[in-house]
Amino acid sequence: MIDVNTGLGLVALMGAAATIAGAAEDLESDIGSQSNPNSQVQLAPQVGVLHRIFNKAISGEPPAYAFYSSIAATVAWILMNVNFNIIAAFAIGAFVASIFHGIYASTAYIGRLASQRRYGQPIYLDVIYNHLPPIMAHGFVATFCILGLSYILWHYFEHPFPFVMLAFIWGITVGAIGSSTGDVHYGSEREYQNKPFGAGLNAALSGKIVTKAEIGTRSSIDNAWFCAKFGGPATGITFGLIVFLDNWRTLVFDQFMAIVVGFVIVALLIVANWLLEVWARKNYGPYPEKLAMLEGGA
Amino acid sequence: MDPITIILGLIIAGILIVIGVHLIPVGGAPAAMAMATGVGTGTVQLATGAGLTGLVSAGYMYHFANVPISYVLLSGAVGSMLMLGITMLVGNVVYIFGVGVPPVSAKVKFDPITKYRQDIYVSPGTEGHGIPTVSYVSGIIGAFLGGVGGALTYVLLNELGISSAISAFIAIGFFLANAVLAAYNIAGTIEGFHDPKFKRLPRAIVSSLIVSGFIAIILVFATSGGVAL
Repeated sequence: MIDVNTGLGLVALMGAAATIAGAAEDLESDIGSQSNPNSQVQLAPQVGVLHRIFNKAISGEPPAYAFYSSIAATVAWILMNVNFNIIAAFAIGAFVASIFHGIYASTAYIGRLASQRRYGQPIYLDVIYNHLPPIMAHGFVATFCILGLSYILWHYFEHPFPFVMLAFIWGITVGAIGSSTGDVHYGSEREYQNKPFGAGLNAALSGKIVTKAEIGTRSSIDNAWFCAKFGGPATGITFGLIVFLDNWRTLVFDQFMAIVVGFVIVALLIVANWLLEVWARKNYGPYPEKLAMLEGGA
Repeated sequence: MDPITIILGLIIAGILIVIGVHLIPVGGAPAAMAMATGVGTGTVQLATGAGLTGLVSAGYMYHFANVPISYVLLSGAVGSMLMLGITMLVGNVVYIFGVGVPPVSAKVKFDPITKYRQDIYVSPGTEGHGIPTVSYVSGIIGAFLGGVGGALTYVLLNELGISSAISAFIAIGFFLANAVLAAYNIAGTIEGFHDPKFKRLPRAIVSSLIVSGFIAIILVFATSGGVAL
């Protein structure tokens, strides 16, 4: 086992890698419009809203990132076994995964939009040319960082799971987090930015996404620019905190205390969530129309 | 450990996972547009993300020398609760500061834990948004049960003589099978234990009993019949 000081440095490095991976993953899913908010992009042409937003729900984000991370880790593992430099092996592994990513992204876009011909939605070749490089690049960054933190956990902390399986599991986790946190910013706010701030999407407005940009037509790269200010970093912080706190408690404390500290952190999280809820209720207040309907009309 | 104990243990693990998934508040695609209460992703995706994070913690703990099994199970539970707890908290941060909506449930008039009124805080045309305290606590309990279930599966497979790598691999599949069963029962969205859909739980438990038992019997036969795993 490594000493605690070195271990803390490595855990911090894992947390940093996870933060970058989380942010890159979320922004990639915004540029590619993957995951749940894509339901609105898919619906838009059916309600008469034609758009130039990328549309690639290849699968849910967790299986997609488990897939990319596993491919990258497998390639890196093979190269490491023929004495390749580890960082170079990660880079080549992540590059191979990004090629798979690009193939899936382009076929998903063309396939999905071809099925919407009856609604008059065109397939824009320039959208594919412009969006594929940032999609693949953000996927590369996310995968590379996941390989890094999986390698640290496997090699330095001697985790019993194989390197490729750790990359697979962290791929699932980062996808689940990106889908749960940052994508809400894209789906609830950016896709419906012309609606007043401070309300969920009224079901009657489903599919009527914003298609105009600050200048010209909105593209998914504009969406990533917006989400990079909040949704992306929020996702990064979530994944970074999870990786850091989970490994920090097992490194610093003995086995029993690591569990106790875990429960204490969870209790603090519950209190933090409650405080956040109280703050929001106090500052935003009830919706006047609901109040009028439920109390005035009753 | 004798095979009958392992089969029974795997059935219990499966049932724990199914109950845990029912407790995790998921709003699916509508929640991603702040149209429904819960985390804005799919049931299986979120539960698996939390369960597998717990599995990494449990796997790490299991390979310390002379560690009690209870520590391994609790370690899995803590890993899983941490993942879901932080995700739900930051999810709420995005709802509150990014979208500008308070966390609120549309299934109950008053939050059963805080007693706060809910219906007047639901924005018009939606079925609630964010993760209110009752859903948050429900999710934490769900993550605890899911984490224990995943860790128990991993431990039992190791006890069956399967290598740690293959044990983890089978535990992931076992977790997914039970999570998908629960997702079919939930059919899209659930807010937690206060949601009327939670009453559907018994039939998911029966299904899990059959599926987990079947998988457990095959695993025991495969390992005792000389099949190298």
